This record gives sequence, C-alpha cells and structure tokens, in this order.
Amino acid sequence: MDIFLQLTFSGIALGMIYAVIAFGYQLTFATSGTLNFGQGEALMLGALVGLSLAGGVMGGPYLNYWLMIPLVMLFGALQGVVVERIGVRPSIKTKNEFGWIMSTIALAIIFKNVAENIWGKDDLTFPSPVPAAPFQIFGANVQIMQVIVVLGALAMMLAVEMFNRKSIYGKAVVATANDSDAAGLMGINTGQVVTFSYALSSATAAFAGVLVAPLTLTGATMGTALGLKAFAVAIIGGLTSGVGAIVGGLILGIAETLTGYYISTGYKEVPGLLLLLLVLAIKPSGLFGKTTIKKV
Amino acid sequence: MLTINNLHAGYGKVEVLHGISLEVPKGKVVTLIGSNGAGKTTTMRAICGMIKPKSGDVSLNGKNVSGLDSHRIARAGLAHSPEGRRVFSTMSVRDNLTLGAFPRFTGARPKGNIKADLERALELFPRLKERQLQLAGTLSGGEQQMLAMARALMMNPDVILLDEPSMGLAPILVEEVFRIILRLKGDGVTMLLVEQFAAAALNVADYGYVMENGRISVHGAPEKLKNDPAVYEAYLGGANKH
Repeated sequence: MDIFLQLTFSGIALGMIYAVIAFGYQLTFATSGTLNFGQGEALMLGALVGLSLAGGVMGGPYLNYWLMIPLVMLFGALQGVVVERIGVRPSIKTKNEFGWIMSTIALAIIFKNVAENIWGKDDLTFPSPVPAAPFQIFGANVQIMQVIVVLGALAMMLAVEMFNRKSIYGKAVVATANDSDAAGLMGINTGQVVTFSYALSSATAAFAGVLVAPLTLTGATMGTALGLKAFAVAIIGGLTSGVGAIVGGLILGIAETLTGYYISTGYKEVPGLLLLLLVLAIKPSGLFGKTTIKKV
Repeated sequence: MLTINNLHAGYGKVEVLHGISLEVPKGKVVTLIGSNGAGKTTTMRAICGMIKPKSGDVSLNGKNVSGLDSHRIARAGLAHSPEGRRVFSTMSVRDNLTLGAFPRFTGARPKGNIKADLERALELFPRLKERQLQLAGTLSGGEQQMLAMARALMMNPDVILLDEPSMGLAPILVEEVFRIILRLKGDGVTMLLVEQFAAAALNVADYGYVMENGRISVHGAPEKLKNDPAVYEAYLGGANKH
C-alpha cells in the first residue's frame, strides 16, 4: 500500500508537469489555432539555461534557484517570440493551414541541436534547491521537490487564469480566442495577442523545465518525450480546457508510474497512449473539450 | 467625418465593389440599402479593415485609413457592430461591453469615464442590464444584437457602422432596435446603417444610398428615395419582399 501511494504521489508530480506543458499548447491553440510542437524543447532550453544560471556547468552558480526562475521565464518568453515570428506568423499570414506544423518541428530540432552543441550530449544533474531527503505522508516517501512541482504548476496556471479574467489585456486574449476578427474590431491587435500567447506558452514550458529538472536529469534530449506526452495530455483532456489539462496530466502521470512498477518500465507509456486512442475514437474533442463544428 | 471614395474591394480575385463613394457627415445617420448580395456587408468590411480594399480611399476625420489593419481603424475612431453580431460568447455581457472600450483602457483613445459609459449603455439596453453577468453565448439573437450595438458604443467612436441590426429578429425586437437607433441619433451619434429593411432604415436616416450589384445606383434624401419609382418598386413596394 505504501508503495502504491508513493507511486501515486510521483505520478501526480509527473502529471502536473505534463499538465503545465499541455496548458502551454492550449494557450497558443486558443488564440491562433496553432500549436508549438517544440514545447518540449522550450522546456529543455529553460532547464538548461536554468542549470547554467543556478548550477555549476558554466562556471556558476550565479544565482540561487528561486531568483533564477524569473530569468528563465523571461528567456522562455523571448524564445517563444522567436518561434512565433519565424515559424508561425508566416503561415498564419499566408493562411497556410499546415505550414506551422513543419516549421515548429523544424525549429524544435534546431533548438535541440544547438543545445547539444552548447551543453553536450550527456545528461547533467540539476542541483536540488531543497533537501532531497523525503518526508512521509501515510507512510509513503514524498520529496519536497515533488510538492513544489505540484504547487508551482498549479500557481502558474492559476496566475494565467486570473490574468485572463481580471485584466483588460487578459480579456483581450480571451476575446481573440473567441473571435479574432471581432477582437480586431474592438481595436485589439490580434497579431500581438498571438505573439504574446507564444511567449507565455514557452515561458510556461521553461518554468516546467526548471521545476522538473531537479527530479530528473537535464539534457538536450529531455524535452522531446515530455513534449509529446504532454501533447497526448492536451488531446485527452481537450485542447480548450484548463481543467482537462490537469485531469489528463494526472491520468497519464499516475498510469505511467503505476505501470512502470507493477507491470514493466518498458510498458509504462502504453496505458496512457491507449487512453489517447480511446479518447480520439470516442470523444475526439477530449474529455473536457467543447465540440467545435468546423464550418466549411 | 467618414468619406469613402471610389472604393473597389472583393474576395480573392473576385471584385464585389466596383467603385463605391459615399459620405457620412458628423452627427448624421446615413443608410445603405439594397437587396441581398448587392455588396452592403462587403462595403462595411472594406471600410473597417476586415478585408483590404483593392483601391479607393476611406477617410475618417480627414485621415486616410484605407488598407490599415482593423484594430488601427478602430483606434482611429470607427466602431463596427458586424453582421452576425460576433459577440464574445464565452465572456459575460459586462466583459463584452468592457472590451468595447479596449482602446480607451490602453490610451489609444481618450479615456473618459468608462464606468459611467458602461452604466449608460446598460440603461439604454435594459435587457442587457438584467443579464449583465450572463455569458453572451446564452443570450437570444435579439439580445446579442443589442450587445453588439452597445459594445460598439462603448468605444466612444466618431462613427458607428451598424450592419443589419434587424437581421433575424422578431418584429417587436426590430422595432426596439430602431427605437434605440433613433435615440442614439438624438444624442448626436454618427452612424452608417446597412439594412435590408429599407423602409424602416429610410425612416430613421438623414440620407440614403441604394446599392445594386456592387455600385451605388441612387442616393438622396429619404423622401426622395421613397418617392423614386425604381427604388419603391425594388425595395419598398412589391410588399412582403422583406
């Protein structure tokens, strides 16, 4: 029982990371109908930049972990702007429905290559900002960092939600997501809103990167699988629902840790992906997604 | 105030407007009438920047705005209550109205008293006041139309484009919409009104333009248009056509 609980807690922490990345996919999908398939690489870059600032890989540490986070998010935001300007905007402008898919994947591969050249191909350890010694909840071992991951992820999503609801700029984002043409008629620069959503999305991923890094290893390849699985989460939960991202993330995260222990680590990704196939077959808009009717 | 000169526009390679010229003087209500497919909505879209004109000028307060993005034209003082209402359905009525004032929040338009204007808009449309916290998507068609109009007012614009405010509404609501247009006219709001309901539109307007196949066929004072046999036959008489 203890081990089951412990696996569940690990699954929750992992699931919240998936949820934050999935949330990032939703941000850009809402405003522009496009996704950054390099979300995983945005996470990886965030983690490696964070490691360079708060770890010893580049002659540091220059900053402690907590002060590093805002800088990493700023870096993530700028990286998101680059992705939008180079990879997405041209395809939105020319109304090319699929151009952004290939260009965001291409940029992701480029970012990965650049990271391999700067930080090397080997995985690096990310120093934990909190004691690694676990504490006990109902007899199960829980790491402080896992709690920070869960709280940090929730805080991030809550902050974005509050911004969208309360501030006039957040409302402009929601309006653009509702009806971009009508938002333009209100004097909202919808192109800028799309750029902003890419910045926010990548900043979120970079934040997820420095949250997860102390629990895993950091390296140029860390993002690809996370990004892909978070995409599965976004599809399972629904591309339009924040709650869906959290529920989908938790389902996938817990399924993964349980399967890894009770069946085989070789199969740990199978249940979640089977669920993805099931959802796509039965409710293609996702568990919490709104069915949208595409007008032809 | 709003002057359109020899405007050509269309979709892709198809030209829909073949040289439209019209003028909306300050404080006046001008109506653009014509049958379905004459190009009325395309004219509106070309004025507000939803589509880019191929040639011709749109000038607002003496400033040429043709070819600008719609958000720039809006900030220059043009509000548009578009065809199909286009309210922000997942947002509350109040938030929709607040967004109408977006350029005033950002300093792109004079700020004024946004809160007071919001209350005034709700007074003008009591149905919206009752439903101010409801999501716009849950409103009836008539209420959404009122919301689209109120939202346009919230900008404190120099000119308001009203595209088919009566479309799809029950007769009693059509009357209410026109009563509100008259009231706004009394307040000195400058409006360009597109309508298929030609008779009602000519009753509230100071001047009218009749559109046919992407061109202005006749224009003049409402009385003159009402008495023009061709206009009467096509848009006013023939009864029950609309």
